[in-house]
Amino acid sequence: MIAIKKGSCFKRLLVMAGAAVIGGVAFLYSGLYSMGADDPHYDVTTWALETLRESSIVRASQDIEVPSDLSSAERLLKGGADYNDMCAGCHLKPGKSQSDFTLGLYPSPPNLAVISRLDENETSIDQRNFWIIKHGIKASGMPAWAPGHDDTRIWNMVSFLKRLPDLTPAQYQILTARGKSDVVHH
Amino acid sequence: MKKKQLGLLLAVPGLMLAISAQAHSDKEHMGKAENPDCAAMSTMDHSKMDMKDPVVMAMMQQCMSTMQHGSTEAESKAHGEQMTNTGKAGDHMQAPSQ
Ligand code: HEC
Ligand SMILES: [Cu+2]
Repeated sequence: MIAIKKGSCFKRLLVMAGAAVIGGVAFLYSGLYSMGADDPHYDVTTWALETLRESSIVRASQDIEVPSDLSSAERLLKGGADYNDMCAGCHLKPGKSQSDFTLGLYPSPPNLAVISRLDENETSIDQRNFWIIKHGIKASGMPAWAPGHDDTRIWNMVSFLKRLPDLTPAQYQILTARGKSDVVHH
Repeated sequence: MKKKQLGLLLAVPGLMLAISAQAHSDKEHMGKAENPDCAAMSTMDHSKMDMKDPVVMAMMQQCMSTMQHGSTEAESKAHGEQMTNTGKAGDHMQAPSQ
């Protein structure tokens, strides 16, 4: 009798945990969850997902070695052209404040032409950006670009992102244009 | 409530993972080669330009052939060595647009 009573507290916990798991699985199958990108998370869910994302990226990117020539003009040009082709639709460019993607994606892609993380350590920003571009962000619209793009190209875009918030629309246009200016004369 | 949150935490990343795969083909972004609008550069205040700023150097590199009419070949060479050794045209992916 006494032995059963001692174990009953633990048993009760087990039963509750089991019920929680079953309840969770039942919820998955119930169809009650709203899957639409136009139906935002609860604040607590957003907080949990962002904390998960940031902690994961800090850990995964902290040992990445940042090239010393990130500020070179050559990297800016190559990274700029790639950014314009592959990223500006979602992450915008100087003079543009929204696109179908920024309006419709959830989470919404941040405007990389305005955010600057000056308050943070520069190396960790570069490491973070490199990691995000290379691997993408799960459960968001941010793709992994490693397939088809080597590390050099990704670093070129990291280089461009450092200067992007300072650029005027005219400067942006010149830096990112792939065509050759002398074509105009022929 | 608690288990609902847990369900969300599992369901959201799990199910959206499938959606997050975005196809990218190289050709998708190679076609539309825009030409740099170098005329805009002449309206910029050159006295305020820091010639050692990589952004300015990169713009000069993009526009040197428009700014130096004539001996483009020689000019490119000189500028190219001064700044960085490779221009971006003729490098990867972009067929020169003609
Ligand atoms: C289909 C839209 C889309 C495209 C294209 C895209 N991204 Fe993203 N990107 C996102 C979304 C959405 C997020 C935010 C993810 C999140 O909040 O978890 C993001 C996040 C980022 C971040 C992190 C921003 C921050 O500071 O939190 C960086 C850096 C980034 N993208 C760079 C790029 C680069 C570089 C490219 C082009 C090679 C690119 N992205 C292309 C959708 C996109
Ligand atoms: Cu690409």
